[in-house]
Amino acid sequence: MVSKALNKKFDRIKAREEYGIEPKRVRSRALRKLLSNRLAVVGLIIFSIITLASIFAPLLTQWDPGKINLRAMLQPPSAEHWFGTDKTGRDVFARVLYGGRVSILVGLGSALLSAIVGVSIGLYAGYRGGWFDTVTLRISELFMAFPQIILVLMLVSIVGQSLFNLIIIFVVSGWGAMYRLARARMLSLREEEYVQALQSFGLSTARICYKHVLPNTLGPIMVNITLTTAMFILAEAGLSFLGLGVPLSIPTWGNILNVAQDIRVLQNNWWMWLPVGAIISLFVLSVNFIGDGLRDSADPNLQG
Amino acid sequence: MPSDTALTVRNLKTYFYNNNRCNKAVNGVSFSIRRGKTLCIVGESGCGKSVTASSIMQLLPELSRIEEGNIVYHAKTGDVHIERLERNSDEMRSLRGAEIAMIFQDPMTALNPAYTIGFQIGETLKYHTAMSASEIRTRSLELLRDMGISLPEQRIDEYPHQYSGGMRQRAMIAMAMACNPKILIADEPTTALDVTIQAQIFELMDNLKVEYKTAIMLITHDMGVVAELADEVAVMYMGNIVESGTVDDVLRRPQHPYTQALLDSIPVLGRGKQQKIKAISGSTPDAYDRPVGCQFAPRCEKATIACNEMPLDTSITTSHTVRCWHPRDGAP
Amino acid sequence: MLTYIIRRILILIPMLFGISFLVYLGLEFTPGDAVSHMIPPDLANQVSAEKLEAIRESLGLNKSFLHRYWSWLSHAVRGDFGHSISGGVSISKIVLDRLPATLELSAAALIISTILGIMLGTYSALHKGTYTDSGLTAVGMLGVSIPEFFFGLVAILIFALKLGWLPVGGRLMPGMESWIDHLPNIILPALVLSLMMTAGVMRYSRSSMLDALNKEFVKTARAKGMPEWRVNFLHGFRVALTPVVVIIGFRLPTLIGGSVIIEEVFQWPGVGAEFIQAVRGQDYPLVMMIALFSVFAMLMASLIVDVLTAWIDPRVRLGEE
Repeated sequence: MVSKALNKKFDRIKAREEYGIEPKRVRSRALRKLLSNRLAVVGLIIFSIITLASIFAPLLTQWDPGKINLRAMLQPPSAEHWFGTDKTGRDVFARVLYGGRVSILVGLGSALLSAIVGVSIGLYAGYRGGWFDTVTLRISELFMAFPQIILVLMLVSIVGQSLFNLIIIFVVSGWGAMYRLARARMLSLREEEYVQALQSFGLSTARICYKHVLPNTLGPIMVNITLTTAMFILAEAGLSFLGLGVPLSIPTWGNILNVAQDIRVLQNNWWMWLPVGAIISLFVLSVNFIGDGLRDSADPNLQG
Repeated sequence: MPSDTALTVRNLKTYFYNNNRCNKAVNGVSFSIRRGKTLCIVGESGCGKSVTASSIMQLLPELSRIEEGNIVYHAKTGDVHIERLERNSDEMRSLRGAEIAMIFQDPMTALNPAYTIGFQIGETLKYHTAMSASEIRTRSLELLRDMGISLPEQRIDEYPHQYSGGMRQRAMIAMAMACNPKILIADEPTTALDVTIQAQIFELMDNLKVEYKTAIMLITHDMGVVAELADEVAVMYMGNIVESGTVDDVLRRPQHPYTQALLDSIPVLGRGKQQKIKAISGSTPDAYDRPVGCQFAPRCEKATIACNEMPLDTSITTSHTVRCWHPRDGAP
Repeated sequence: MLTYIIRRILILIPMLFGISFLVYLGLEFTPGDAVSHMIPPDLANQVSAEKLEAIRESLGLNKSFLHRYWSWLSHAVRGDFGHSISGGVSISKIVLDRLPATLELSAAALIISTILGIMLGTYSALHKGTYTDSGLTAVGMLGVSIPEFFFGLVAILIFALKLGWLPVGGRLMPGMESWIDHLPNIILPALVLSLMMTAGVMRYSRSSMLDALNKEFVKTARAKGMPEWRVNFLHGFRVALTPVVVIIGFRLPTLIGGSVIIEEVFQWPGVGAEFIQAVRGQDYPLVMMIALFSVFAMLMASLIVDVLTAWIDPRVRLGEE
């Protein structure tokens, strides 16, 4: 005996099978699963909209994000200024669009760089073993022992604030996780027969690592890149909010939020911080949806 | 119905509904289990033999249901229609463990690693009897001893990971036998064990059958096991029982081409390297895309146009039934 | 079990060496040399140049790099972490003053998120596929996606500024004596800080519970005729709990990291807020030392988690690997 709802569902499936109607099928199994995950599709759509809006910012707004206009200070949202203006009369909507460029660049760029660094070292170390493996493993452990934001802030205080520095710092703090993932995958794949067959053919280490094993590790790595992107976007927002991330002269989502540290702005000028905060949340949410969808589609054990 | 019948299954159909598809895992199966006898259900993996067992226990996964048919447990107090009970209702639970017990393939995963063996045996007794804690312990010790576990006083407080594979399965059987069930369902109980251990477990099960008059339903894919243990045999293929009868009927006078093929594919010890082992041609069809008529027809040498329709169960003798249009000993 | 704990502690020692060396390197690369921060600034201003030179000599400042590291480390081990640049106060005093506030906040958030996260996650798993489950999953997703500080700002706006139910920030105001007096102050920061962790623990508890419920031994328990609550909690939950404890340990860095920003948002006078002040004021020795402490705290936390999980798991408890 099963619940009524399930009974109905079962009857429907059975009836359909008996009429010989088969559900439509997309060719790639992974893609099919990703597309059948409604949340992942929603995530993909939101992600594309926000990213495209940032890239094509000049087409979407006539305002210059840095242009100070003292005659239009602290205006609430209107048809002219969709998200209002800030203390120096800059258009907040334009700043959010242009800020998105930097924030997404920092998030996605740092995640990709971390993956490139971490995966290339990790695969090599996992395959070769020996002293190289031991040393890199210990180094990654050292970096991963720090709570991330503390490591990042410590490095910021040493090397100083700039966009470039921030990306490098994110990579320093983020490569360890990718390294470990790639190394662990390599350790298990190394024992697979196809890798041993390649060895017996006398292929070079680099070729085995990056040409033959890398494609088989891409699933979990892709998932990790999306989740790391989300994490870095949150980190950039947090740091810039504190005034310690990207220099304030460059608009980023975090820098726009910086004004909310002032309690008067917080109370009276909601348009200066609430919309951008919501957009950060929405963007990170969409990235997380995509990451979850990727994870499910990469996992052969889960059935949709 | 003869009085020694413990359980009757009639035209059981259990379907699975994964991935928005309907898989007719068990499609019209009938058999009965008798007290003090062993019924072996034999077939390759995916033929529905485990699903049949799960249906009897109402332990099916969420996305599945019993579509049709009856599973009748003949209790002292009267017949119980298991298929009408809610999955985890009180009545169903009072049957499980107490009247019908089940043991599984891999005793390592079937035992909870977080609790001692004693705890896990005691649990059954606690829920199905009115025993006190000390009585439960005494009974558990007795069970472990009966199942051939040495030093039960020490072993009872150990965890599954401290047991060897064979001992774990003995502990599982002790757990299953705790309340003296009328029926014991064993789902490939020795597949995960060494060959030498297998024999010991079978010996143990044979003793149970004689000593406690337990009806045993043994699920296996191993014809050797069937020959050794079974009183009755049912051969399953793609959700149907294709042939059933006493062990002599089925092993010595196989009627269904699938049974014959199964028997031909077993190497016989002592016949040397020259013996011909015949593999069954083709492969098991897709569960979602089953043949219309006889399920074995696409792989069968004798298949004719008639096989596009599902054959009826035909009695060869009073005990021997086959579901085929072209049984070996002549047409029906 | 005891040997396990001892071995686990021994592993930490080279780790701590490595971290301290990293932090020391950071100090060497920033203005002022590491060991000179050991001299209290007041003293450095008063004494004559020759005397200062003598002190420098005694601290090993004029010796090689490794010597200086050793001198710095031996001071640190004895609890002398040097002095902050801006205030000239000893770093250990600053941290000790600020520590109770941070511990209070983190502990509150940890307790809230552990209890709430495990409860909601388990509930969700047991009601898999229902609307409540989907709702909770969505809320969980949102929880890990909203920047904590932004959530904090919204909470301040609503509950402090608009509704006026709770204070905007701060911890101990003059006249506050008992803990009940400052209970209202901790509610908002603790809830906000626990948000992300609750969401994480919830997601993980759900999947861990689902995992456990799919195990063969759960089927065995049902086959024995156990009632559903016993199947779910004694067999499912008990086994699902171990990985959840581990993940809570893994998530502690997020909690510590989150507390840095949340303390700043709510003007909570903890180590995190001090850390941000130090980074802003380029007070290098203070920055490095707080970083060092945070790593130390993390390592200790992971040690505790390891011991705890070992204790839960009979296979480790009984001395097998």
